[in-house]
Amino acid sequence: MKSRVNKADRDKSSNRVSGDISSNTELLQRLVNTVKDYAILLLDTEGRVLTWNVGAERIKGWKADEIIGQPISKFYAPEDIEKGKMEQELREAAEKGRFEDESWRVRKDGTRFWANVILTALRDENGKLLGFGKVTRDLTERRQNEERIKKQSLEILEMATVPVVQVWEGIVLVPIIGTLDSQRTQQLMERLLNRVTETGSPVALLDITGVSTIDSQTAQHLIETTSAVRLLGAEVILTGVRPSIAQTLVHLGIDLSNVITRSSLAAGLQRAFNLLNTTVTSIPQNNGGGK
Amino acid sequence: MNAENISVIKVRELLMVTMPSDPDDPTISALQEKVLNAMERHEAKGVVLDISAVETLDSFFARTISETAQMVTLMGGRTIIAGMRPAVAVTATELGLTLGTVETALNVDRALDMVNKPEKQA
Amino acid sequence: MTVTSPGEMAIKTEGDIVLVRRTAREVAMQTGFGATDVTRIVTASSEMARNIFKYAGEGCMRWRTSERDGLPGIELEFEDHGPGIADLNLALQEGYTTGEGLGMGLPGAKRLMDELEIRSQVGKGTKVVLRKWKRTLQ
Repeated sequence: MKSRVNKADRDKSSNRVSGDISSNTELLQRLVNTVKDYAILLLDTEGRVLTWNVGAERIKGWKADEIIGQPISKFYAPEDIEKGKMEQELREAAEKGRFEDESWRVRKDGTRFWANVILTALRDENGKLLGFGKVTRDLTERRQNEERIKKQSLEILEMATVPVVQVWEGIVLVPIIGTLDSQRTQQLMERLLNRVTETGSPVALLDITGVSTIDSQTAQHLIETTSAVRLLGAEVILTGVRPSIAQTLVHLGIDLSNVITRSSLAAGLQRAFNLLNTTVTSIPQNNGGGK
Repeated sequence: MNAENISVIKVRELLMVTMPSDPDDPTISALQEKVLNAMERHEAKGVVLDISAVETLDSFFARTISETAQMVTLMGGRTIIAGMRPAVAVTATELGLTLGTVETALNVDRALDMVNKPEKQA
Repeated sequence: MTVTSPGEMAIKTEGDIVLVRRTAREVAMQTGFGATDVTRIVTASSEMARNIFKYAGEGCMRWRTSERDGLPGIELEFEDHGPGIADLNLALQEGYTTGEGLGMGLPGAKRLMDELEIRSQVGKGTKVVLRKWKRTLQ
């Protein structure tokens, strides 16, 4: 907090105070008291609050008389209190001189904010620990921006890995590449069902030409996806079922008798057009699909 | 308070039943009786259940729909569920909810188009 | 009062099941879950609330937000002082019914959430805790 002011600046200063500005503790106090963007606190050796500033009230919600004397664990999230985070942080600051991290903190009203926290050990000239200084900054907005950018990047990536394409009026196509784990299946189901509803497409083609080998998990997820699409009132045609895939499915004992399947995408499209032309627009839930 | 939340209208030879977005248990229970009474009164060929506004479909709601559809079948009719929301469909599938002998349609228009067509065979 | 501060509500009447759904929806949305996860959370909550009403007559739901690996999450607690569940393992088994059909929805709720914790004592009551966290790919 000490700022080095050289002689030239000092002379220009409009705040005429006696002596060196950097040794004027009154100004330093005023700085700490009025800074709004940082919570600046002094703590005793046990981590209890000794001083409070405007920034602290603004960021954490507590008024000075409500919080002085309380331990800083008051600002910690319940799961961190359980883990003994306050004790760990104070210990590290005492050992290394300094502790810094970014994590969730809790305001007086119980809401959370993302905080950058720096704890500094304060010692007298003999090295005895007097207490700690704590500076906290609310980085929630910055984090939200980062999260939003991350989310958008992931959405773009997701669209590339689980693309749902409308190939004709009433027909959507999902080319599936690789295997389907639970998470990818969830993404697939969400995107596919949303597209089916948005476009009003009664037929969805799931093309597994790009799936080199199929395992039980992927097969079950495909069946699950088919059930979900049927609940919407659309039909699913599983295309690209090559001989090797067909063999594997039978050997694995997967029951696909309830699903329309075709060996190639072309054959699947043909079936799709048949379905659309007969304008059968409702799907029975039991024994559905037919062949 | 209960039965009034569900609207039952005769459209062509079908009953159009519209469910509100978050019906309470008594409303859901009232669905069954309302539908069956209306089936008898109007000699309808079936029921189109519009759930496009429904935000949550739990096991109780699903069971009521399934039972109602079975009863409609016994009375010689069909049941078509229209407009299920994607989030509801995903959750219902993960819960393993079965809807029994119902058919499903993307929306009410398509469901109504069904009335003159035979049930989908193969 | 923002909904993301912890809270509690009573489950005493049939109408409270709807309130549970509404509250769970609010908290889940404020926590930042997407539409499908919100529906999963609300549906699981509905099952638990109905259990309380059906088997215990009354109880409560508590909610709070949490965090794991930097991602926000939700924790919902359903507690009653009802008859309790005699055989927990049986109740958690897929396909278990209590004769009325569809049982207590516990296996289903477990599938929709990331964690389901249950404690029950016959004659004393039951406490179910549901937890779910946001996934990065959302």
